[in-house]
Amino acid sequence: MKTSIVLGGLLAATCLASAASADKLDDIIASGTLRCAVVLDFPPMGSRDADNNPIGFDVDYCNDLAAALGVTAEIVETPFPDRIPALVSGRVDVGVASTSDTLERAKTAGFTIPYFAFTNVVLTRDGAGIEKFEDLSGHVVGSVSGTFEGIALENNIKEWGAGEFRPYQTQADVFLALSQGQIDATVVTSTVASAIVTGGQYEGLVIKGDAPYPVDYVGLIGLREEYGLLNYLDLFINQQVRSGRYQELYDKWVGGEAPNLTVSNVYR
Amino acid sequence: MFNYTFQWRQAFQKLPLLLDGALVTLQIALLSMAMGIALAVLLAVARNSKSRWATGPATVWVEVARNTPALFQIYMAHFGLGSFGIHLSPYVALLAGITFNNAGYLAETFRGALRAIPGTQMRAARSLGMPPVQAFRLVVMPQMFRIAFLPTTNQMVWAILMTSLGVTVGMNTDLAGITQDINVRSFRTFEIFALAAVIYYLIAKAVTLGARLMASRLFRY
Repeated sequence: MKTSIVLGGLLAATCLASAASADKLDDIIASGTLRCAVVLDFPPMGSRDADNNPIGFDVDYCNDLAAALGVTAEIVETPFPDRIPALVSGRVDVGVASTSDTLERAKTAGFTIPYFAFTNVVLTRDGAGIEKFEDLSGHVVGSVSGTFEGIALENNIKEWGAGEFRPYQTQADVFLALSQGQIDATVVTSTVASAIVTGGQYEGLVIKGDAPYPVDYVGLIGLREEYGLLNYLDLFINQQVRSGRYQELYDKWVGGEAPNLTVSNVYR
Repeated sequence: MFNYTFQWRQAFQKLPLLLDGALVTLQIALLSMAMGIALAVLLAVARNSKSRWATGPATVWVEVARNTPALFQIYMAHFGLGSFGIHLSPYVALLAGITFNNAGYLAETFRGALRAIPGTQMRAARSLGMPPVQAFRLVVMPQMFRIAFLPTTNQMVWAILMTSLGVTVGMNTDLAGITQDINVRSFRTFEIFALAAVIYYLIAKAVTLGARLMASRLFRY
């Protein structure tokens, strides 16, 4: 009787131990599918073409990663606020979703080295009376809830003590609100702003200068404890730059010289 | 598998912010109920009237309010009216959307309650010399509210829960808005949402218990 309990316990322990030794990277390779969380209302990083297929820099990046791993990519559309729930609940393996690497978030999610970098500009409507960043004081402005530029803009409004900040759940809602006049301006990454202005879906939107924010470095995200996967992703990003593929993708989706991904005077 | 370490201390630090949000949630729910009840009485009377000019608009209101999602109603109050150049702030749009919904549902509750009151009540009041409006106000309406009291508290609970839809129109001061804001900043999704759920539960429970207590005091024969 007692022996069987001990044996059963040993057996259970062995099963648990062997299950734990296969990490996320092994799981992805074994399953043959890499599931990427990509934000698809954030052109040119992620959007949908006329046939509703996912396209964009992040989509190509996920495909490259899947090819490197020798598996097939599966793009899982994920709005900005849902990236971590998608990761933690196991709906996706990795987030290729322009995630700003803040220290606050790094307490929860695992970040790779930067794979892209954004600068921010002021996007406003013709006739809203905004010519530069400082003019935003006193206006109703908005952005996507919890993004790097959204948090910075909300802090600006609090600091100025004039105006109002409105967080929306998706980038599309921000542009809708801006074109309707619900808000007078938004601060948004330069790549998205130029894609929207030239896209012609919303009329009368204009870019009025840069926002004086630090460069917004974004990383891929995975579960915090999956070092095997995170290490692989770091090397993958390095190889993308080294091989020239990073510049190639930048030419395809944005144009010009791709942003520098290193910070001088410090290691990462 | 679920691969996540819960950090409750980090979440509890945000409790004061969440409680501030709960007050805003309660405020919107109470205001929307007060306005919703007033509108619902008018709608119920209009639907029971014989004039088509009164029944028509009232029926449209009740049909749309009861048969479309509350999310749609709130979204339309913000972005729908916005496309016609009418700009409601997120607070007002949320309040308007929920009030519209409350009025539609309560109108049907009240209409049912009115049907349950025997016509002889009105006739008796009229025979005592009361004008129609006075008879309705003093004799019929109190009985209507008594019959509809518990269903009305149901709608109050529903109104509290509907306030969480405000995040879709940029609301950031109510409980759901603050919850979402903390979530995207810290990525501590599960702890923060669990705390918010407990707060919603406690508010809703307090309303139901309070209403039951009130009913037992008010409606003793």
